[in-house]
Amino acid sequence: MAPKPKELKGDFWKTKDFKISIGDIIQKKETENTDEPLVSMGPTQKPSVTDLRSWDMKLLDRYEPFYSPLCDMCCLCTYGKCDLLGKKGACGIDAAAQQARIVLLACCIGSAAHSGHARHLLEYLIGKKGEDFPIEMGIGIDIEAPIMRTLIGKTPKKLGDLKEALDYVEEQMIHLLSACHTGQEGSSRDFESKALHAGLMDNLGKEIGDLAQIVALDMPKGDAQAPLVELGIGTINREKPVILCIGHNVAPGAGIMDYLEEHNLEEDLEVCGICCAAIDITRYNKNAKIVGPISKQLRFIRSGVADVIIVDEQCIRTDVLEEAKKNNAIVTATTDKMCLGLPNKTDEYPDKIVSQLINNQIEGALILDPEKVGEVAAKVAMKISKERSRTKTLPDLDEIIELAKECTECEWCDRVCPNSIPMMDAVMAASTGDLSQMQRLYNNDICYSCGRCEQECPRNIPIISMMAKIGEINLQDQKYNIRAGRGPVQDIEVRRIGAPIVLGDIPGVIAFVGCTNYPDGGEEVAKMAEEFLERNYIVVTTGCGAMTLGEYKDEEGKTLYERYSGSFEAKGLVNMGSCVSNAHIPGVAIKIANIFAKKPLEGNFEEIADYILNRVGACGVAWGAYSQKAAAIATGVNRWGIPVVVGPHASKYRRLFLGRTDKEETWQINDLRSKEVINGEPAPEHLLYAAETIGEATVMTAKLCLRPNDTSKGRQLKLNHYIDLHKKYFGTIPEDIYKFVRVQKDIPITYKRDIMEILDEKNWKPRKLPQEPSLMDMEGD
Amino acid sequence: MNERIIPWQPTVIAGPKQALMVTPETAKMMVKKAKRPLLILGPLAKEEPLVTHSIEISEKWDLPIVTTADTFKTYLEKGVKTKAYGVVEIINLLKDPEWNGLEGEGHHDLVIFIGGIYYMASQGLSSLKHFAPHITTLTLCKYFHSNADASFPNMKDEEWLIYLEKMKTD
Repeated sequence: MAPKPKELKGDFWKTKDFKISIGDIIQKKETENTDEPLVSMGPTQKPSVTDLRSWDMKLLDRYEPFYSPLCDMCCLCTYGKCDLLGKKGACGIDAAAQQARIVLLACCIGSAAHSGHARHLLEYLIGKKGEDFPIEMGIGIDIEAPIMRTLIGKTPKKLGDLKEALDYVEEQMIHLLSACHTGQEGSSRDFESKALHAGLMDNLGKEIGDLAQIVALDMPKGDAQAPLVELGIGTINREKPVILCIGHNVAPGAGIMDYLEEHNLEEDLEVCGICCAAIDITRYNKNAKIVGPISKQLRFIRSGVADVIIVDEQCIRTDVLEEAKKNNAIVTATTDKMCLGLPNKTDEYPDKIVSQLINNQIEGALILDPEKVGEVAAKVAMKISKERSRTKTLPDLDEIIELAKECTECEWCDRVCPNSIPMMDAVMAASTGDLSQMQRLYNNDICYSCGRCEQECPRNIPIISMMAKIGEINLQDQKYNIRAGRGPVQDIEVRRIGAPIVLGDIPGVIAFVGCTNYPDGGEEVAKMAEEFLERNYIVVTTGCGAMTLGEYKDEEGKTLYERYSGSFEAKGLVNMGSCVSNAHIPGVAIKIANIFAKKPLEGNFEEIADYILNRVGACGVAWGAYSQKAAAIATGVNRWGIPVVVGPHASKYRRLFLGRTDKEETWQINDLRSKEVINGEPAPEHLLYAAETIGEATVMTAKLCLRPNDTSKGRQLKLNHYIDLHKKYFGTIPEDIYKFVRVQKDIPITYKRDIMEILDEKNWKPRKLPQEPSLMDMEGD
Repeated sequence: MNERIIPWQPTVIAGPKQALMVTPETAKMMVKKAKRPLLILGPLAKEEPLVTHSIEISEKWDLPIVTTADTFKTYLEKGVKTKAYGVVEIINLLKDPEWNGLEGEGHHDLVIFIGGIYYMASQGLSSLKHFAPHITTLTLCKYFHSNADASFPNMKDEEWLIYLEKMKTD
């Protein structure tokens, strides 16, 4: 009988033999296909809010929270407003704790959005397929739910099994949200621990959601050969009735595709999407098209191309109804998250809803039944398309010039622009007939069409409509592609490259994720991805980031998806899917710990996170993160030990996790093999870092792939890339290079002479190489 | 309200405390009074004429320079010694009263900013405003930074360049 680890202490967890025997037991269990848990449960099954607190404190000791308040005040209760600048509030809270509290709140919102989405999906799919619908990810994936296995300690075999995990998430979220109430938590570090827990719940909620939709809707199951699908405003056939889906929930879009298929209407209508709903619809049916990331939203709605606009949940413009009305498009809301004040027509006959919509008896409809949405959307689009095609929606180019002449050069469009882009100069140039400046801002989403300039303009110049029209000048060029989201990495791929990643031979796994709040357009992100792909890194991507990468073509007109394989391998560009597919990023790191190192997963979060932090050279890049979901995603992967580089706008999240290389004591590690606590190195140096420019971000990302466990050969490779990139963007070998040379064998041959000079200057001495670097079992544990 | 002292991005207003709007004369007084000032150059200081102005101001007042983002390279190519930090890294060090300064000779008492990305610089200044009471911050950008202790007002290029010229005189 297997021992119960919870009853054992000390060296038991360190023994290598134990890990191997667990691997055998897992194998046996799967062969026998029994529900009996033959694996031993680790110490933290279904961890509570405080169960992983000691791990969090280890992270926070090393990567101290760095706060930059967006507001000096707290206005959450009626004692306030309280000015927290150098003072405590009426409840006793100080500025640091208040920042951490707001971060927790943001992570709760983000996590709730993903988990609410997962709940919607799960209930819908269980209703459609039944609780016993099997969770089968194909022969290449045995560990189909690595996060769930680690946290819940169970392997889901059927859709109904996912409910237990989601119940757990929801319970934890209530406790976390309650901690934000006035007069609860008072410590910034404990708020951060809770934020990390909220991020972890976000990871689990996403995994549940994506797993459910992959199996029940037969999306690609880790398929490296997932098809290329069309992307870009120019791919939308404007001669057909057009249905646009915005948001994140695939169900309404799937309902539309099903209806078209069942009625042989696939060739007659165009179904397209914006944001993650678009990605997931193309995972379901490759005939759908992707308009692009969230940045396209307002300008595409304004263009009037869409006859029917289906909104589901998250990241949708809340004025979508008002905007749609301007060009007589019909809006249908489809989830409880966004009802827009529309009448609930869920129980109405579809033809009656269609009649009410096209006769303007209702200004839109709330329909909470995805199949009914499909029928109504298709019928409405076909009926109104012809009439709407005569609706003039955007100003002509001549009118743009006249509208631009209204500009008084007050400069307020520039001042309220989140990105401080030179909109006024572009408008003034347009007034002289020169549209090139507006076109430059349109291209690559330098302007992401938030519309704040329009709101401020005292002359009511419709700047976004002008941009949308100017964007149509090169419509034919706006045709790209993206590999359909493949879902998780296959176990077999991990077996193939687990060792090179952990040993450092593959220099790192870089994840480009998040939204499009880019400081200077999306092309920078694509070029950064290209840089790492060319350097043999593995690049994974999801969501709006994945779409942005698809919008960049090389000189031969090829997108990155056409140039690089979809496999999880060196030089592979792996589009995992939508926002919820972000779960597969920590997921693959967990798989590496389990498959390559045979670390048991069940109830064993801390050991897995410790392994990832010290040995898996992965780094996230969220260059345009804007949402609370992005905050939760980053915080969640941080808890697993994966660092993230964010763009300058992310400084407005109020908190980063920064290491201090000058505090050597914070980098000590325990070598589990020798049982010695030794001086470590700042690897990874930061856990959440905001960069100002893409050059800085690129160099930092390469540096954050360093891990204490790198072999000397792996370290040489990683340092070689770090130095190369530093020379490219900074012009020199990095001054801190000596901190990452442990022994002479670590020095890249190409730079040996220069580095030796630096080492001499710094009076460098070789250090011990840890065999099993860890933060566990340190003094004070 | 005087538009010169509304933050350039107006929503940056964080609370009742606003920066003191300063002229070059007052700014120079602050530099003269400082025992260990530091100049931080952001990525907008990679372009002329700001590069030359920044170098000449640093030379005039013997200011050690930190370059943030990848600004370092521009000054390296001009033969100007600077130390590269991420803006969040240097601010993280500055807010620690135990930090011993750029040259290890003691903490800085005045930190002067030029060329940061407005909204991110504003966040960095907020960090120092809240958590570094031992430091005075001064911005010489052409936009008013309400989170600094002292800032130039919002200006057009022509006026700003005159301000920068004045920073090079006694």
